[in-house]
Amino acid sequence: MRFVLNAAEKDLRRYLRDPLALVLWLGIPLLVGTLISLVTGGSESSPPSAHLLVADEDGAVLSGLLARAFGKDKQGQLLRVEAVKNDEGLARIGRGEATALLVIPDGFGDAVLNERPTKLLLVTNPAQSILPEILQEVLEILADGAFYLHRVIGPELKEIVKGPPKGDLTLSDDAVARISVSFNEIVKRLQKYLAPPVIDVELSADQAANGGQVSPTKLFLPGVLFMALVFMAEGLSADVWRERDLGTLRRAACTPAAVVTLLGGKLLAGSIVILGSTLAALVAGILYLNMPLLNLPLALVWGTLSGVVLLLLFTAIQLHASSQRAGSVLANSLVMPLLFVGGSFFPFEMMPDWMAALGRWTPNGWALQHLKDILFGRETFPALVAASISLLLIAVVLFLITERRMRRVFIRS
Amino acid sequence: MMAGLAQREAISYPEGSLVIEVEGLQKKYGELLAVNDVSFTAEPGKIFGLLGPNGAGKSTTIGCISGLLEPSAGRIRVWGHDVVLERRPARENLGVVPQELALYEDLSATENLRYWGSAYGLRGPDLKQRAQEVLIATGLLDRAKEPVKRFSGGMKRRLNLGCGIVHRPKALLLDEPTVGVDPQSRVRLLDVVRQQVAEGACVLYTTHYMEEAESLCDRIAIIDHGRIIAAGTLTELRGMVGENDVLRFAGRFDPEKAREVLLRMGDVQIVQAEADGLRLAMRDASRRLPELFAALAAADSLVRETTLTQPSLESLFIKLTGKELRE
Repeated sequence: MRFVLNAAEKDLRRYLRDPLALVLWLGIPLLVGTLISLVTGGSESSPPSAHLLVADEDGAVLSGLLARAFGKDKQGQLLRVEAVKNDEGLARIGRGEATALLVIPDGFGDAVLNERPTKLLLVTNPAQSILPEILQEVLEILADGAFYLHRVIGPELKEIVKGPPKGDLTLSDDAVARISVSFNEIVKRLQKYLAPPVIDVELSADQAANGGQVSPTKLFLPGVLFMALVFMAEGLSADVWRERDLGTLRRAACTPAAVVTLLGGKLLAGSIVILGSTLAALVAGILYLNMPLLNLPLALVWGTLSGVVLLLLFTAIQLHASSQRAGSVLANSLVMPLLFVGGSFFPFEMMPDWMAALGRWTPNGWALQHLKDILFGRETFPALVAASISLLLIAVVLFLITERRMRRVFIRS
Repeated sequence: MMAGLAQREAISYPEGSLVIEVEGLQKKYGELLAVNDVSFTAEPGKIFGLLGPNGAGKSTTIGCISGLLEPSAGRIRVWGHDVVLERRPARENLGVVPQELALYEDLSATENLRYWGSAYGLRGPDLKQRAQEVLIATGLLDRAKEPVKRFSGGMKRRLNLGCGIVHRPKALLLDEPTVGVDPQSRVRLLDVVRQQVAEGACVLYTTHYMEEAESLCDRIAIIDHGRIIAAGTLTELRGMVGENDVLRFAGRFDPEKAREVLLRMGDVQIVQAEADGLRLAMRDASRRLPELFAALAAADSLVRETTLTQPSLESLFIKLTGKELRE
């Protein structure tokens, strides 16, 4: 066991004497990720919002209520309401400066209270498709709401809108009391409808398909990290051929130290390099993108473990190659497709569905998806446990294959 | 010069003990029989030489003893431990210096020595002290912290040997350790080897340099085409070739006439007679050269070059195989 540490120390010293390789393993993915992110326009942009122009030709209480209803609560984050004159509004819609123009005609409030037909005019921007439809839906809901409100408290509303008798500034105490008692009775009668059991509706989008609310730049972080991990795994795995060329593997095979300890040392050194690089990349990315640090420890463990498995995978490939050149060609020919399909160049969210589905089945793509879920707080505990067990099992199998190949064929040939 | 290793006490062995025992070793690569029924033993405090041309089977034999290659048949024991069945104890007693350099070029000499020492279980102060001793013995102390890639070929060879002895092995396998080495490094290397032997180690030394084998080895086995064709001490081997000198004439000859006149001289042994050269064996050849020239001139021969070789391993090798060692 002690020799594992000696072997790891030896390899770490060797890696540190070639710092350029370490810089390139991290630098190239960072450069590629930044360029692709810039090309695809990834930025911290706010979600799209609708711009509604309201021309209130009525100017009454009810028309004012309707106009304000559009900008209430969460709708206000998605909808900007601006009061305009009718002509100005039509001109601006014509120039494509807003999503829609709502025209509330003169006498709208009076018509509603007296149950006379009336019309609201919604002029939409033909250059937009989704947002005008949303506004139309919202308007129809509000119109329905006004109808039912009128059915329930129509007389009381009428009295409020009508206002105090001539000569008085406010309604009389009797009138206020009567209206209050009337409201109270209505509320009591409709309590079971007005105050039903509270049902929270949680909006849930298909997170895997659209990346949730994660911005495109953040989506690139895990991909860039995995690009670095794949480069590191490929570069570190080639060390078995370098050692064979040096003759040190054959010499080591003549010592009492078992091949398994030699390989263990090599793996430990690789793990330390991967751990350090993953930590640096994650901390830099998380701080730069202003992401929560809470997910860092788990992401670090997952990233490192994934990197080690990739290292074992590439080492197994190198050991099965007939020559150093063949090993290099084989590993290089795998790297680019894995990176491309596995979500490192372009996030799965930007890929066609079939390619994203394929990419999630590549070794790096599968691990990358889990890293994303960890970083963006979407990974569930059972899913993480199952994935970790799978990863550990794969690591054990690859280690056994690698050790056997190295001991029986690679060192002796 | 050898102060670094002088502190070490000599290994004591029971009388008649053997460090390396090889019995009926065979190694096949497919149909090719690289080593065929090789048997020998090597004692502590002695150098056993394996002498043979390139491709004779020396390195394959060393590979089997070191455990790197699995023998196809036969048995090898190091310090009483079977190298196949008791790998670990057998290897703990072995030091291997491969023919090709086996060093980490990015690491320093000290780092290399400590790494290889740790592979044999050396730890802590013992490892540190031992690495220092080997650096002194190999003359690399002043370059100890430099990366090996800056070393000359001779320095690398010395370090290559140092890495094989850092753990004080009882048996040391040296596979042509002086190939391509400058004279200064060669002297230093051979000094280190002699020091190991003086301390009681058993050395198995392969070479195709006759002079090296003659000056260094206590017992020698001559190997060719995977078989040992002669074995013994230097005196025993010289006895096999006899006391005759070997004379080689190059030029233009009539083989039949030359053979006729030479046979008339009595004790001249004709090894080879061709149109462009003669090879003869006889006693006191240097004194009989005038007589030989006269006889050859009478046989219409034209001598352009004459080479006289006194009895040696080379002449034995030529006698046994009909070819020179470096062919």
